[in-house]
Amino acid sequence: MKLDVNALGTFYRMAREGAGLAAGRLTHMTDVETRVGVTKLNFMRGREIRRDFEDPTEKVGVRVELGGAIEGYSIVVFDRENALRIVETIVSESDAEEFDEMSRSAVTEVGHIMNSGFIDGWADVLETVIDVSTPEFVEGASADVFFNDLEEAPDDDDLALLFQSHIEAVDTEVGFSHYLFPERESMSQVLEQLRDSGGIEYDKLEGFDRMAERGAEEVANTATTLTGIDTSVEIRRLNFVSLEAIPEEVPDERLVGVAFEFDGVPSGYLLFLFDEESAREIVDAMVPMATGDGDADEGPESFDEMGTSAIKELGNIMASGFLDGWANVLDTTIDHSTPEFVHDIGTAAVDPVIVQLGENQEFAFVFDTLITADGKEFDCEVYAIPDEADLERALNDLDVGRIEDAPTTADFQEVDNA
Amino acid sequence: MKTYGTEPGAPTPVQVGISELAVSDGDETLRSYGLGSCLAIALYDPDSEIGGLAHAMLPDGDAAENSDRKPGKYADTAIRALLRRMVEKGASYTSVEAKIAGGSDMFEFDSFGDGVGQRNVVAARDELEKLGVPLVAEDVGGDRGRTVEFTPGSGTLLVKISESDGTTGVTEL
Repeated sequence: MKLDVNALGTFYRMAREGAGLAAGRLTHMTDVETRVGVTKLNFMRGREIRRDFEDPTEKVGVRVELGGAIEGYSIVVFDRENALRIVETIVSESDAEEFDEMSRSAVTEVGHIMNSGFIDGWADVLETVIDVSTPEFVEGASADVFFNDLEEAPDDDDLALLFQSHIEAVDTEVGFSHYLFPERESMSQVLEQLRDSGGIEYDKLEGFDRMAERGAEEVANTATTLTGIDTSVEIRRLNFVSLEAIPEEVPDERLVGVAFEFDGVPSGYLLFLFDEESAREIVDAMVPMATGDGDADEGPESFDEMGTSAIKELGNIMASGFLDGWANVLDTTIDHSTPEFVHDIGTAAVDPVIVQLGENQEFAFVFDTLITADGKEFDCEVYAIPDEADLERALNDLDVGRIEDAPTTADFQEVDNA
Repeated sequence: MKTYGTEPGAPTPVQVGISELAVSDGDETLRSYGLGSCLAIALYDPDSEIGGLAHAMLPDGDAAENSDRKPGKYADTAIRALLRRMVEKGASYTSVEAKIAGGSDMFEFDSFGDGVGQRNVVAARDELEKLGVPLVAEDVGGDRGRTVEFTPGSGTLLVKISESDGTTGVTEL
């Protein structure tokens, strides 16, 4: 099975189109104004999917099995509370806190109409027919309830292609998430039809994921070494999105960031974004005198020269670690620029990069990582956005057999702290 | 996911995301958030009070394949699409005026050449001149992000800059 950007681009359009139809139908049914939030194609390991899913919130889902042009499962998942609110808008006398037969069937009905919306959207884009089974109501807090009995549920180590869309209602809490798990064989056929270039062997995506994993680990390790704050990788995903969707994911608040361009196979851009509080905590840990009495909350609004250079230095070393992780997996060398400091609205810090990449590509693979610390503020979003053509080249050169053996060592001595 | 705070009682401004454009008449506010190198292009006809806002990402749509599908993505095609939709709503072509904001260059990367924001600004100015639409005000360039709010009824373009010292600078164009 091979895939290329054209095929993935069509998949992405499918996801958008489906989300639009589903949102329209939800509005029609509930009279609540809705809009499509982020739509993503994710490549995730079974383990990561389960982790992503397992916040303590009780959820309800409506699941259908697909046949025809796409085989697999389509699942609409609501937070339990949101599902109950939706029932209220449809069955006006209901103020249920538990799911009785009536509210259960109301949610199943809504979920089914949502699922059908997505599926009609995909069928439109693919100009084909997709069959849908009768809907099944699922309730629970863990991923196992939702995914484990699927015929081809991804095991912990399997890399699955996942469609995620979020639809939110304006002013009310009735948002939901949507997951599509296509079966490998049927997806392979669809990809084959859509592909218009040589493409990448699907198995080489394994290399993608390994790159992402090594890079993320290196960042967490270097951050811990440098700041003394014990950090770990919280979320890690590989997204395929349209360029315009990237800034939509960045919080629209003032952030502190360090940006790099990197050069090699692949080339691209790397951004580390911290919320202001985390940035202060880091400055505090690295240069204890910089924020006066050491209380991060009372620090000055702006970052002085010492604070700025501490953050740049941390960014620089994290960038080296991250890109070393990649270079080791790819058996190549990747150089990076000196750090550029930015303290501005998050969106504004990301858009120059997508503007530049937009000259030559419409979509991008985004390596999206969240590093956090227990007990202290250290939230760092890492966005690595490689140039598409370079990435395809790097992956095609990749020897899948040696991925497991690749060592990862960040060499602190080599870093130029200019 | 983006969330937007609203002041109590104030109507929610229409969000114009990257590559999008919107046309409106009257007092409705159109808003684009966190522009870095992207460019906000506001056109309005003071007589009919019809106007529109585009959040363009790239300079040259004529050279791109998908500019039919996404006219708002490119400065040149966004300006033409805004004009066409405004005229369809009843605006008079000859009285339309333009204001632009954005096009910052926050990073000095080698691969960025003369600056990606600068390219958008130049493209918008060229297209406006070609179409004979006067550019009456601009707030472009520099290295800070901007948030803009445009009210077609009055033609006012509010530009907010979040300064590095934590304050917000507001310019009215």
